[in-house]
Amino acid sequence: MQIKKRTNIKFNVPQQLIPLGILFILVITALIVARYLLVPPTFGELGHYRSQAIEDNLAHPMSYAGYYSCNECHDDMMELKNQSNHRGVACEVCHGPAAKHIEDPSEYLPDAPRDRGFCPLCHGYDPARPSGFPQIIPALHNPGHACIFCHDPHNPLLPHAPEECSACHRDIANQKAVSHHATLDCTECHVVAAEHLTDPRSALAQKPVERALCGKCHADDADASKGIPRVEMASHGQRYLCWDCHYPHSPEAY
Amino acid sequence: MNSILFSFGVMAAEAHGITGYIYPNEFELHWGLLVVLYPYLTGLVAGAFILASLERVFNVKVIMPVYRLSLLTALAFMLVAPLPLLAHLGHPERSFEMFLTPHSQSAMAMFGFVYAWYLMVVLLLEVWFDYRKDIVIKSREKRGIKKYFYKILTLGSTSLSEKALQFDNKAGRLITIIGIPSAFLLHGYVGFIFGSVKANPWWSSVLMPIVFLFSAIVSGIALVLLIYIVTSLVRWKQLNMACVNKLAEFLLYAMLVDFSLELLDFIQRLYESEESIAILSEMVSNRLFISLIITQIILGSLVPMFSIIMARFGRLPDELRRILYFLAAILVQVGIFSTRWNVVVGGQLFSKSLRGLTVYKLEIFGLEGVFMTIFLLLLPFVILYILTKVLPPWSDSDKSMSAPQG
Repeated sequence: MQIKKRTNIKFNVPQQLIPLGILFILVITALIVARYLLVPPTFGELGHYRSQAIEDNLAHPMSYAGYYSCNECHDDMMELKNQSNHRGVACEVCHGPAAKHIEDPSEYLPDAPRDRGFCPLCHGYDPARPSGFPQIIPALHNPGHACIFCHDPHNPLLPHAPEECSACHRDIANQKAVSHHATLDCTECHVVAAEHLTDPRSALAQKPVERALCGKCHADDADASKGIPRVEMASHGQRYLCWDCHYPHSPEAY
Repeated sequence: MNSILFSFGVMAAEAHGITGYIYPNEFELHWGLLVVLYPYLTGLVAGAFILASLERVFNVKVIMPVYRLSLLTALAFMLVAPLPLLAHLGHPERSFEMFLTPHSQSAMAMFGFVYAWYLMVVLLLEVWFDYRKDIVIKSREKRGIKKYFYKILTLGSTSLSEKALQFDNKAGRLITIIGIPSAFLLHGYVGFIFGSVKANPWWSSVLMPIVFLFSAIVSGIALVLLIYIVTSLVRWKQLNMACVNKLAEFLLYAMLVDFSLELLDFIQRLYESEESIAILSEMVSNRLFISLIITQIILGSLVPMFSIIMARFGRLPDELRRILYFLAAILVQVGIFSTRWNVVVGGQLFSKSLRGLTVYKLEIFGLEGVFMTIFLLLLPFVILYILTKVLPPWSDSDKSMSAPQG
């Protein structure tokens, strides 16, 4: 009896909802079908990417031989390089991919770049490079000479100690050159040991630690040119060091 | 010698408009005019929809003449809104991969679903329920291809019984209620994306979604006001001054809230005085002086607010009022476009080193140029024109057209 009653119940679905419902089901089905057809089968197995991509990449032919392969025959060169500032630079960075050379050393010889365009890829001046990284302006640095004429790439010692701080700290030197501190020598503020020029990491240049150094020129009673901005050292900035607010290499910036 | 060369370098950089120190990858702006256009368009969509919801949900009967117009405006601009992004990305076909392989951790990827929800579940459904009666009548009255076109639009639901019409009305109301948070989500989301860029002090602010939302409401109301005045003029119809006055009032209130929020954000930034404040102040007083101080604040906010106050609450003849409203609405559009410009372009003008400023140079031709932007700005009006031909929103011209039941 109860079952009969239930079958007589009429669902009062508004007419509008039927086509809309069908339309929405179609759209969602289309999305599901599109996903089924278009999403690569291995997508999402390992992460939000196609894991087959790893296999695809592994299937590419090997071009680079790797550090250990070079060492097998050229261990003398490797030892020299590993003692030098180029110890972090792999052989194939300069010599190019050498997998073919490993397969047939006599048939295929790797590149040995000798023109002046190559070394400045790393050592040409670029303000984004860290201070202290040796950088040159190729047009000004011994034009016409190949780099290897003076520098051995496997042991890139400098032929002589740099004459100017800008040889390694060009970004700072350039900034200072157009600032109010242009005429100051670097050694006016930094104490630089002689060893710093030949082995910079063993003897770092000293940075100032006291406000009094700036006060030598900028204190209101300093014995310096009249055009230099003066402050009362006791009240100006008080507990802060001068370079907390002023950048000494370009002091007008703040 | 080196320092002389460097000085030349500095002079060359200054000739390009760069000042101070910037990182090499900050020289060129990656988000240009089209990315400015995108939040502007979505803002208009959200604003126009929220205006429509005032009539539908909050029963503001006086703005009835623009109810359907604002819905169609929202739809027309919604259809164009993603185009600037697709043009900017250069590979429009890749955007569909967002739907196929959605990444729930990416705000930008999930935005595709917010957009799809808003377009399909909110706007299209609401327009359909609202116009169903008219569509059915047209499918019976028209002849030839038009008849079949309207028949398809009915989706087979041709009942005009009182019960069916009541359901249309109820469904429309329900969708509008869902639509309000959706509209907030749509444009709040755009602000959210900018506001969550932690590395950029000009963007990173929790107020960003809220400021975006209110500026969206301002721009949407002003746009519908403009379109209503212009279409009435072109159709030689009398403007409903009560409606226009109410629109202007809402515009004023929205502008007051928007302006206060932006002022609050500005004051808070000044008071916080984070390390970025120096470069941001320099940017505002140099690079963004015209687009922020002049066009956004003075011409885009203060002047229109003052003229609306004068027109709405002063004793002026209706003709003068209309002109003042019209001018104010145009200035508001200029102001809101400047707001988007200042956010998008401003956020890329200063270096992340906080020590230098770059410049933005407009492209004229090309996929991201001025002409493309003008085309994308005009396209919604063309779509709106077609929509008004297919689904006339006017309640005064055609006696057979019915207004939705309150």
